[in-house]
Amino acid sequence: MTHPAAPDAALGLEGIPHTGEGLTADGHLTEPQSEDFDHARQAPEDPHWYKTAVFYEVLVRAFNDSDGNGTGDLRGLADKLDYLQWLGVDCLWLPPFYASPLRDGGYDISDFRAILPEFGTVEDFVYLLDQAHKRGIRVITDLVLNHTSDAHPWFQESRNNPEGPYGDFYVWSDNDEQYADARIIFVDTETSNWTFDPVRGQFYWHRFFAHQPDLNYENPEVQEAMLDVLRFWLDLGIDGFRLDAVPYLFEEEGTNCENLPRTHEFLRRCRKVVDDEYPGRVLLAEANQWPADVVEYFGDPATGGDECHMAFHFPLMPRIFMAVRRESRFPISEILAQTPAIPRNAQWGIFLRNHDELTLEMVTDEERDYMYAEYAKDPRMKANIGIRRRLAPLLDNDRNQQELFTALLLSLPGSPVLYYGDEIGMGDNIWLGDRDAVRTPMQWSPDRNAGFSRTDPGRLYLPVIMDPIYGFQAVNVEAQMNNTSSLLHWTRRMLQVRTQHTAFGLGDFAELGSSNPSVLAYLRRHGDDVILCVNNLSRFPQPVELDLAPYRGRVPMELTGGVRFPAIGELPYLLTLPGHGFYWFQISTRTEEVEPV
Amino acid sequence: MTTRPRHVVAALADDLAEWLPRQRWYAAKGSRPARIDVRAAAQLGAGDPALIQALVDVTAEGSGTEPYQLLIGLRSELPEHLAHAGIGRVGGDYAYEATQDPELMALLLDLMAAGRETEGISWQPEPGIRLVTGLRARPIGVEQSNTSIIFGYHYILKLFRRPTPGPNRDVELHRALFRAGSEQVAEPVAEVRWDGLVLGFAQRYLADSVEGWAAATASVRDLLAEGDLFAAEVGGDFAGEAGRLGEALATVHLDLARVLGAERMPADAVGAAVDELHARLDRALARVPELGEHEPMVRAAFDALRGLDGVDVQQVHGDLHLGQTLRTTTGWVLIDFEGEPAASPADRLRTRSPLRDVAGMLRSFDYAALHLLAGTEPDRQQLTRALEWADRNREAFCDGYAAVAGDPREQSALLRALELDKAVYEVVYEAGHRPDWLDIPLAALRRAG
Repeated sequence: MTHPAAPDAALGLEGIPHTGEGLTADGHLTEPQSEDFDHARQAPEDPHWYKTAVFYEVLVRAFNDSDGNGTGDLRGLADKLDYLQWLGVDCLWLPPFYASPLRDGGYDISDFRAILPEFGTVEDFVYLLDQAHKRGIRVITDLVLNHTSDAHPWFQESRNNPEGPYGDFYVWSDNDEQYADARIIFVDTETSNWTFDPVRGQFYWHRFFAHQPDLNYENPEVQEAMLDVLRFWLDLGIDGFRLDAVPYLFEEEGTNCENLPRTHEFLRRCRKVVDDEYPGRVLLAEANQWPADVVEYFGDPATGGDECHMAFHFPLMPRIFMAVRRESRFPISEILAQTPAIPRNAQWGIFLRNHDELTLEMVTDEERDYMYAEYAKDPRMKANIGIRRRLAPLLDNDRNQQELFTALLLSLPGSPVLYYGDEIGMGDNIWLGDRDAVRTPMQWSPDRNAGFSRTDPGRLYLPVIMDPIYGFQAVNVEAQMNNTSSLLHWTRRMLQVRTQHTAFGLGDFAELGSSNPSVLAYLRRHGDDVILCVNNLSRFPQPVELDLAPYRGRVPMELTGGVRFPAIGELPYLLTLPGHGFYWFQISTRTEEVEPV
Repeated sequence: MTTRPRHVVAALADDLAEWLPRQRWYAAKGSRPARIDVRAAAQLGAGDPALIQALVDVTAEGSGTEPYQLLIGLRSELPEHLAHAGIGRVGGDYAYEATQDPELMALLLDLMAAGRETEGISWQPEPGIRLVTGLRARPIGVEQSNTSIIFGYHYILKLFRRPTPGPNRDVELHRALFRAGSEQVAEPVAEVRWDGLVLGFAQRYLADSVEGWAAATASVRDLLAEGDLFAAEVGGDFAGEAGRLGEALATVHLDLARVLGAERMPADAVGAAVDELHARLDRALARVPELGEHEPMVRAAFDALRGLDGVDVQQVHGDLHLGQTLRTTTGWVLIDFEGEPAASPADRLRTRSPLRDVAGMLRSFDYAALHLLAGTEPDRQQLTRALEWADRNREAFCDGYAAVAGDPREQSALLRALELDKAVYEVVYEAGHRPDWLDIPLAALRRAG
């Protein structure tokens, strides 16, 4: 019998294993267990795979619809794994696919152990995972540790039964005065971090939307319950988690309630579970903060890192955009100079675009105004404190700039994360609500619904892009597969080059000064593998003289064509670059002592 | 191989008399050295190649006697990459300008690191500095009065080719600022001296820096390629950087005043200073008659200062323009505190109004805005855009300065007079060196009228 607190019918989970199908004798909700399902085969063993991997963020909803209901699903994604293997990506990052009322793009999870019915079932997920591993592709997904949907049976139990086992699962208070120093994140929609719940007659704490109550990590049972959620998916074979909104797990009066020591303590517990029980899987922290603060989430350097394996480098991305617009390398040079060293087993995740807006939290107010003026010419392009555009329209569909940006993404320190569709230069639709502008269906072919779905066009979860420049008849995978000079083929070739050189993933980073402010040049060095990257951030052709004296006598070889350039001599090495041009060179295979910059 | 450095230099006298006038740092332009006396000479490296450092007095025909610093390399064979640096022959060896030879220049770092003294010439690291050795040496481009060598990515050594007696302003101000904790100068690391003369000065090299001039002109280039956009609208907007430059300069001024003092120039001394401005203008008018139409306006601006009841003065940079600023990954740094190149050594040491530096920067923004249009048919559209760029960045620079120290625009009469004085100086310079650019300062004078 269904427990009355769980609104299963509304969430479409009737007849599917889910949390709260029954109650145990002591009042706990029953939850699906991993033993109830098949497990996927394992990916090839490689404890440090994440340091050299190219990640690909793909929205299940947006990629491929296998059952013709207008919404992409897990089986549909599995059907496109051959394409992703051909492209050369190493790991898929799936934003949340859990049961959810979908009031925050699935980040409002109402059941950690059930799949959103329109995406499929846990069995479908295991199939996808198994097929991906078969092709050497790994899969990670988002897990929101900080909060649940208010539709989660835990919250329903908590509000209805304050004395029951879930009464203390959330942060309840008789007033809304505590933790006044914590900032409000979604300033567009929320006016307080507290909301009154008429059912329980108390206020509950939420750092994000009011429909996403924060879990109470003070309660050891909450910690255990969330560790068991990790174990559930790791047992099925998942390769890791992107931990969403990690800085906010604990609250403490008199602080801004971010990055508190006990939050780190809990992350160390998560890491220990992974290291002890599931070696080779990764934790990726989503902490939208300055690099000097984010490094805390890698944990203790003495251990090589004992919290998250990876963390996103947020400020780099807007600064790449700013540097190219300003034709000056300093926005990038500055942020990299301020980026501290990370533990030896840690790696940054870097990206140009993702499913959220172009985040401008990590720039100053002055810079933010500037970015708005440059990249969000229409007010509708703005969202929260970011810009809701895809890469191609942000760059006015300029192929040279798309290539330059991608070359930067693939060569700067960190594992690159591509966003689905950017490999073909897909456009956006800023007239769609919220952040849906950049979440439209993948464009596979010029056929109906861009080959994404067989359904009626009106039934699609979002309309496909149809404008004359970015519309699916002009921009699609099929056409670009048949054209070897397409952006798709170019991207694939660059990924191939990147895989051949460990320096991109494992090497150190040393910026080479140059007297030309528009040219960003740096070395990536890993043992014998020395790569020189030179990028012209200006739209005009530029010369640059580089001090490569430590490599005198060696012959730089350009990596995409294998052409040998003149040997490095006594004088500074002169290169000329076309507007928005870039070069990747391999300097030499010989070892010689190199001075640090 | 010779072991007698004085003899080598003396033996090269005729060759040097031919060679010296071709060097950019040779002061008595157009007149041949009549006499070369060796004051000091030291052998810094023996073997093949060998290195000789010498201080010589050069007496030129129709000109006075000036000391010069020479670095002479000796090799039994002159490789092709050094052929352009040849001076002459001594015995069986080729003598050449040694600063072009990385192999010999690398020795200088060892001398500094070891604190070596040879023939009275001392190579001394700054107190508490331990230099990294074994770095490659690399000479950099041509400079007016110095030759600079870069060691690895670590240090830059500036060799003063025309060393002057008395305190070296560049060294003294750098030391004072660095000791005051300034982040706007590169750290001093070593000094080369002989008998009270500073022959060289080494600093931490800011390998990852860009000259302010290059950064500003990149912005102007971006603007001019648009044509129909305002300076605030184009991607390469420089105003943020200009503001940070203003903050950096104000910080340097405050630091200099704090450690070296500031004073109030009394009203009567202001009168004498105004007379000096007029005298400079007189000399400029004699050389560039085109200045005549602006004379009344400039003189009126100078005379407007006579009413001031005093002017705050202190040590300042003295020759500030965008080319004396470096953008590093942490902010702006000022370089070359030698003072105004045209002034006498004693004059350079005087205290001045900090607005002199501000005026220098404001003029430099004008140059950056207009130099791409110099020598071309004037295009009204582009000229208007360029002037808007200059105004925007001049304002941003003053805003930045005002955020740290007093707003220079509040002393408008003084700022105007100093800017005009600078423009007059530029007119004379351009008339002599770059006639294509002459219209940049002349147009500024026209706009000021």
